[in-house]
Amino acid sequence: MLLEAKPEDLSAVTKVLSAASVLCQVEPVGRWFEAFIKRRNRSVSASFQELEDEKESSDESEDEEFQLEEFARLKTLDPKDWKNQDHYAVLGLKNLRYKATQKQIKAAHKAMVLKHHPDKRKAAGEQIVEGDNDYFTCITKANEILSDPVKRRAFNSIDPTFENSTPSKNEGRDNFFEVFTPVFDRNSRWSNKKTVPKLGNMNTSIEDVDAFYSFWYNFDSWREFSYLDEEEKEKAECRDERRWIEKQNRAARAQRKKEEMNRIRTLVDNAYSSDPRIKKFKEEEKARKEAEKKAKADAKRKEQEDKERQRQAELEAVRLAKEKEDEEARQQALLAKKEKEIQKKAIKKERQRLRTSCKNWNYFSDNEAESVKMMEEIEKLCDRLELASLQSLNETLSASAKEDGKVAVEKQISEVNAQLKKEKAEEEARMRQSTKGAEQSAAGSGGSKSWSEEDLQLLIKAVNLFPAGTNARWEVIANYMNLHSGSGIKRNAKDVINKAKSLQKLDPQQKDDINKKAFDKFKKEHKVVPQSVDNAVPSERFDGVDSLPWTTEEQKLLEQALKTYPVNTPERWEKIAAAVPGRSKKDCMKRYKELVEMVKAKKAAQEQVMNATKAKK
Amino acid sequence: MAAIGVHLGCTCACSAVYKDGRADVVANDAGDRVTPAVVGFLEKEVIVGLAAKQSRVRNATNTIVKVKQILGRSPNDTQAKKHIAESKCTVVEKAGKLRYEIDTGDTLKFVSPEDVAKLIFSKMKETAQSALGSDVNDVVITVPFDFGENQKKALGEAAASAGFNILRMIHEPSAALLAYGIGQDSPAGKSNVLVYKLGGTSLSVTMIEVNSGIYRVLATKTYDNIGGVCFTEALAQHLASEFQRSYKQDIRGNARAMMKLMNSADLAKHSLSTLGSSNCFVDSLYDGIDFDCAVSRARFELICSSLFTQCIHPINSLLEEVGFLPTDVNQVVLCGGSARIPKLQQLIKDLFPEVELLTSIPPDEVIPIGAAIQAGILLGKDNLSTDLDSITIECSAINIYVKEIGESGAETFTLLLPSGTPLPARRQHSLQAPGNFSSVCLDLYESVSGKSNGSDPCKFAQIVLKDLEKKASGVHDITAVLTMKRDGSLHITCTDEDSGKSEMITVEDAS
Repeated sequence: MLLEAKPEDLSAVTKVLSAASVLCQVEPVGRWFEAFIKRRNRSVSASFQELEDEKESSDESEDEEFQLEEFARLKTLDPKDWKNQDHYAVLGLKNLRYKATQKQIKAAHKAMVLKHHPDKRKAAGEQIVEGDNDYFTCITKANEILSDPVKRRAFNSIDPTFENSTPSKNEGRDNFFEVFTPVFDRNSRWSNKKTVPKLGNMNTSIEDVDAFYSFWYNFDSWREFSYLDEEEKEKAECRDERRWIEKQNRAARAQRKKEEMNRIRTLVDNAYSSDPRIKKFKEEEKARKEAEKKAKADAKRKEQEDKERQRQAELEAVRLAKEKEDEEARQQALLAKKEKEIQKKAIKKERQRLRTSCKNWNYFSDNEAESVKMMEEIEKLCDRLELASLQSLNETLSASAKEDGKVAVEKQISEVNAQLKKEKAEEEARMRQSTKGAEQSAAGSGGSKSWSEEDLQLLIKAVNLFPAGTNARWEVIANYMNLHSGSGIKRNAKDVINKAKSLQKLDPQQKDDINKKAFDKFKKEHKVVPQSVDNAVPSERFDGVDSLPWTTEEQKLLEQALKTYPVNTPERWEKIAAAVPGRSKKDCMKRYKELVEMVKAKKAAQEQVMNATKAKK
Repeated sequence: MAAIGVHLGCTCACSAVYKDGRADVVANDAGDRVTPAVVGFLEKEVIVGLAAKQSRVRNATNTIVKVKQILGRSPNDTQAKKHIAESKCTVVEKAGKLRYEIDTGDTLKFVSPEDVAKLIFSKMKETAQSALGSDVNDVVITVPFDFGENQKKALGEAAASAGFNILRMIHEPSAALLAYGIGQDSPAGKSNVLVYKLGGTSLSVTMIEVNSGIYRVLATKTYDNIGGVCFTEALAQHLASEFQRSYKQDIRGNARAMMKLMNSADLAKHSLSTLGSSNCFVDSLYDGIDFDCAVSRARFELICSSLFTQCIHPINSLLEEVGFLPTDVNQVVLCGGSARIPKLQQLIKDLFPEVELLTSIPPDEVIPIGAAIQAGILLGKDNLSTDLDSITIECSAINIYVKEIGESGAETFTLLLPSGTPLPARRQHSLQAPGNFSSVCLDLYESVSGKSNGSDPCKFAQIVLKDLEKKASGVHDITAVLTMKRDGSLHITCTDEDSGKSEMITVEDAS
């Protein structure tokens, strides 16, 4: 039992609750858990089950009212004209329409059947129209359509109470939101997606507005127009007819669907073009862009100015520095000039002094010719000597007697002459160097490729091998060189021509030089081989002195001697050696052995060739 | 449509099917409703179930028992180590994973615990499908409360490789509650249920709060060192000493004889749960001697008296942990095969004298039946979120009372919205006030949820309904509707049914 309230008590909250909700871990089992999770995922607040029950009961009570209202018209309905009837109204769900749940439809149908079934009415004493013409057929038909999700959707799509009109641009000009909001709300029921963005108001952010329009421009509608099909597929008698009907229907549906899409499109277009927010956003965007552009231009200009100023400053600095430098150089030049002049004067004076002093002493000679020569020498001295040395010379001259002066002067002269000679030699060397350099540079653009001795030899050989007039001579020469050269450098015709020309240009001395060098080289190469042989065969007797090669003269003499003194001659080799002047007995014996060896080798080779030819035969 | 619930225990596995609104345990091909979770590897074939258990006497090294203990555990795990030490079948470590070493003649095989579990699951699937006569793969699997992520994963993989489509894994205690349909009929109300599970090798006690049909585990305790096997062992030891007394032979060192004796003791233990005495008979137990010994239930209880105390003690410590008195527990659910022991049931009954002991379903079938019921609930539901293992929901943190006058004239508090109610919640209560009052006052009190009935309620609001018509006889019917949102804010509406007068208040939460 509850308590009684005191007169002064009022409903009130005296303090807030001491604890909020807590998170608990629960076991994922049982049907109530499933219901809870389902509810939570759907984010339905309060106890879903209970609320639904309540709603249902209230719906049913409302249904009763409609049906009472509907009675009069219901009985006048023609079952044959079912297509043009409002099935929701027939079942008394006029106000719920597409929002009615399957449960409600079922309940409504049940209620209608209870009231209007022919048997019931017959029992009540009413006159019944026989067969399908009774209005009860309409109720059956309505239930048939509304309880089938597909058919119901088709009927919902062409809901006669739906207003298809779309406001024009002008209508929405002044009070955009009042005109368009209900239209979009109305059309959002066709969306396949459950959450449809709202048009919003003037303060909606640009992102939301964009999302709204992109949603509506890509509107995904479930509306379809199969309900309006002219022909019924089921009526067809044969397959062909059915196909034809199907085709017709498909075309008609597509046409209607297109119209519907166009309608939505027009609606969205109209809304978009007259949306004050879009206008506002566009203007803002434009203003922003302009401001940006201006800022950019400003920045650019400023940058340019800065650059210009900097450049000016730099130029100025450079100019100043240059001026300063010039000034300094001029000063220096002036100074140097002055000094030079002073020196020149001093030198002139000294020279004069030397000349006079020498003149005074009659050029240290009595002889005319000698004095002339001395004069020349003195002049040379004057030309050559530096100021300081001239001064010192003059000092010595003035301080000493004639003989001493002569010695000093002569010493100076000899020094000067030596220097002159040296200079001359140097000059010559430089000259040679320069000509050589010029030559080398003339040796060609291809001169970068160095020409070794072997290559030069090879070139000369090649030039001789392919005389002037050979077809594409220089290419051939170049190829030959490339083939035979050991240096591995690839040369082309041009290189070869250049080198050949430079070789032709060479003075004979240089040519000699080359030849000598070539000979040295040859000698060196040819020396190396026997040496190596000697080294390899140390058992052979070897006298420190290498014998000179045998000349043809000596050879002839030797051969003669060998013939004159046959083998059995006593002391044969002594005699042979005597017959060959300049050759010892040992030399002769050695030569003889060599010759024998050579002859033997020759014979063996010949035999081999003979054998080979014989074998071939 | 049908679905299966499977419980894989350490010693036994059991499957139940949900069909035509009913969940039933199905018997296997041997006619047993429970299949031993034993896998034996023979030279040419692999046997699962009773046959494997019986052939274990001769094939101990190639027979795997208690695979659940090692499933999904790392080699360093203490329980895995214990299992390895006890297992007759060699367990080796391969690449950080545990493998059974099976030596069947020519080649040495390494079998993973998952594969063993898979074999058992396949057997259970076969059993269920032969009972249903159709190919059913949807299954709910139960796992112990202390199973970690890895173990769940390993178990799931094993079940998946056996061809099961796992709808969900649920905890064993919750499955037990579901089997009895606790809180399932009407979502209102709150109760505390103790789940007592004495399995083959482990004992677990769990306190679950049922509120609005949703289960919430308050506390749970698992003891791995006590289970049904302990009773069998104790009995076998007793039988061995009996054998020694009569034949002067000690068979305790003979593994094979002990295993025979264990099998016999197991059977005797089972029959002692229903009969007053049982005969234990083993042919040629040792040295060709047949052994025959009668054991009475009283003898068995005497042998196991210390075990019983061990089994009962965890209940007390659990109550202590959650701060409940035995009277705060509304129901006790028994599960696990060893919970059949009459003495144990008697001891629990003594502990909770006023509490209903739920034993109508055979204790070893409770969990699979619960799983099958859950499978039935989930069946045909699309978008099943599988990661519901640890879901948290908002619950109210406070008890909300209204103060009333009892018949004796003393003030009493009537609970309108208990703490722990999943939010959002809506509760409707019909209250009554004496007809001779012209005004009614509802004093609303709150108290923070706590141990037992917690702290004293303190008043936070009052609702006054005035100018009611006085009635000479009868009472005023007042309907109070409490709605609490997920953030914990409370909305209360009171309506007088006769006049339709109503008052409402909204209370924000503390934050």
